[in-house]
Amino acid sequence: MNTWRRRIVKERQIWIMAVPMIVWVLVFSYYPMYGMIIAFQNYVPGNSFFSGDWVGFAHFERFFNSPDFGTIMRNTFAISGLNILFGLPAPLILALLLNELKNKSFKRFTQTLSYIPYFISWVVVASILFTLLGSDGLLNKLLIDFGFIREPISFLGEGKYFWGILTTSNVWKDVGFNSIIYLSALASIDREQIEAGKADGIGRFGTVWHIYLPGIRTTIILLWILGLGGILNAGFEQQLLLGSPTTAEYSEVIDTYVYKYGVQLGYYSFAAAVNLMKAVVSVLLVIGMNRIAKKFFDTSIL
Amino acid sequence: MRDYLKPTLGSRVFDTANVVFMLVFCALMIYPFLNLLAISLNDGVDAARGGIYLFPRKLSFSAYELLFQNKKMLNGFIWSILRVVVGTVACLLATGLLAYLVNIRHFSGRKFMRILFFITMYFNGGFFPVYLLVVNLGLTNSFHVYWLPALFNVYFMLLISSYIQNQPDALFESARIDGAGEFRIYWKIVIPICVPVFAAVSVYLAVSHWNSWFDVVLYNPSGKFDTLQVYLRRLLLEMEGLQQIRDQQVLYNRYRDLSPLTLRAATTIVVTVPILLVYPFVQKYFIGGIMLGSIKG
Repeated sequence: MNTWRRRIVKERQIWIMAVPMIVWVLVFSYYPMYGMIIAFQNYVPGNSFFSGDWVGFAHFERFFNSPDFGTIMRNTFAISGLNILFGLPAPLILALLLNELKNKSFKRFTQTLSYIPYFISWVVVASILFTLLGSDGLLNKLLIDFGFIREPISFLGEGKYFWGILTTSNVWKDVGFNSIIYLSALASIDREQIEAGKADGIGRFGTVWHIYLPGIRTTIILLWILGLGGILNAGFEQQLLLGSPTTAEYSEVIDTYVYKYGVQLGYYSFAAAVNLMKAVVSVLLVIGMNRIAKKFFDTSIL
Repeated sequence: MRDYLKPTLGSRVFDTANVVFMLVFCALMIYPFLNLLAISLNDGVDAARGGIYLFPRKLSFSAYELLFQNKKMLNGFIWSILRVVVGTVACLLATGLLAYLVNIRHFSGRKFMRILFFITMYFNGGFFPVYLLVVNLGLTNSFHVYWLPALFNVYFMLLISSYIQNQPDALFESARIDGAGEFRIYWKIVIPICVPVFAAVSVYLAVSHWNSWFDVVLYNPSGKFDTLQVYLRRLLLEMEGLQQIRDQQVLYNRYRDLSPLTLRAATTIVVTVPILLVYPFVQKYFIGGIMLGSIKG
């Protein structure tokens, strides 16, 4: 013990800075995790986390048995699944195509433009979509002018278009930015390999298939496994901005459901239960995906 | 680089198609902004007829004039800027200091703190637990929610930490021998050598602060600390936003040529332009940040 005390005294300068950090992380990261025990109580706001009466798994059961459960899980998996299906390959394809551009300044120009949407807030994206997809918006106008439809379609007012709009705007926003990592991986491939391939006459498509893709295999696997680990994160900013009561059947996902019940309606314990379920499954997914990566591909994200 | 073989016909067809594709792609990336810009500069009543693509049909600046007289918008602008400055500087300096502390070789709590923070990267319960905490702490309806709950960022800690690790330890050791305190070493040595990584991190922090709106809605429902994004969101989603415009129109009789469409477009442009203005200058830093991140991974 004495040696400990002596060490702390010797390192007091560092500890003076470290202690507030430890306090911060305990308060803002660990205490909220602990606060999730209200999922097993009937918590009344303002009370301490100990005073609520314990109800076991009642809130979880209520969620599993509610008619919302099926819809919410469907929407979460559908939106996330579509994001993975289109959002993961798109940047890879863009990177491969950019890589084939002969004119370097045109390549740089395209890249520069492609990153811009990433830095724009979802509120701005929502405003763009309201303008483009509104009944007097550009898309309706084009469709009417070319004779595809007679009456303007309310794209944002009908549930059946919601997933498509979400996926498209997601890909639009992230495709350029996410291609950076593939491009940097492509740039680190050994030039000699490419020259050797050329000398063997494997052609451009062959170069992509036999040299580029295998060369960035680790990056691809890592990113895709990360993406699968986050399948319960279907986003919620977009749903909150673009969703409306008429599209709720397609836009409600776990996170917006927690927001609705926890923040807007004040069912703290119920929302905490739904939230806890998601958090636990998410962590298990990330750990599981990491296991798979380690076992089969010898790479790790944790 | 010169090809060994003459490009085949297929190869040339591909090149042309690729360039055409990239031109279409560029247009898709930038057109929505140009369209909004054109609408925002158009006469409101005329714009409601639709059909404005790239240029305004009937030029009018009233949307912008009204916006820059609007107290709520100007307040939002000020809170946004304050939030970006305070939030970015606070998080950057705090996270940087943390990254330095966990890199001091002779610090006994080094591994403990590394793990303590690292765990929170994977075990965090989403926004709801933190929301309950902020409510219980009585931090709602205050400016502090913009910087305090996000003071330390574990991902950026790892980023800065790996950068510090690559620096020669002798740099800090010699200062220590000269009797400099740890904070002084951080301030005088660590920060100056970490400028590249600090620049990259601050770009991401500033953009994310400028763009956030959900925590504003969540923590500051009073509307007193509304940022620009939230002002735009109100215009988009809430009837009261539109009512505000009508009140203004009654107040200033001359803004008859306004419509919600043009005002919304103008607000969107005002929210976006600061990002577009700084974008060319910071581009190299955020790409640098990704490279640093990928080396770590």
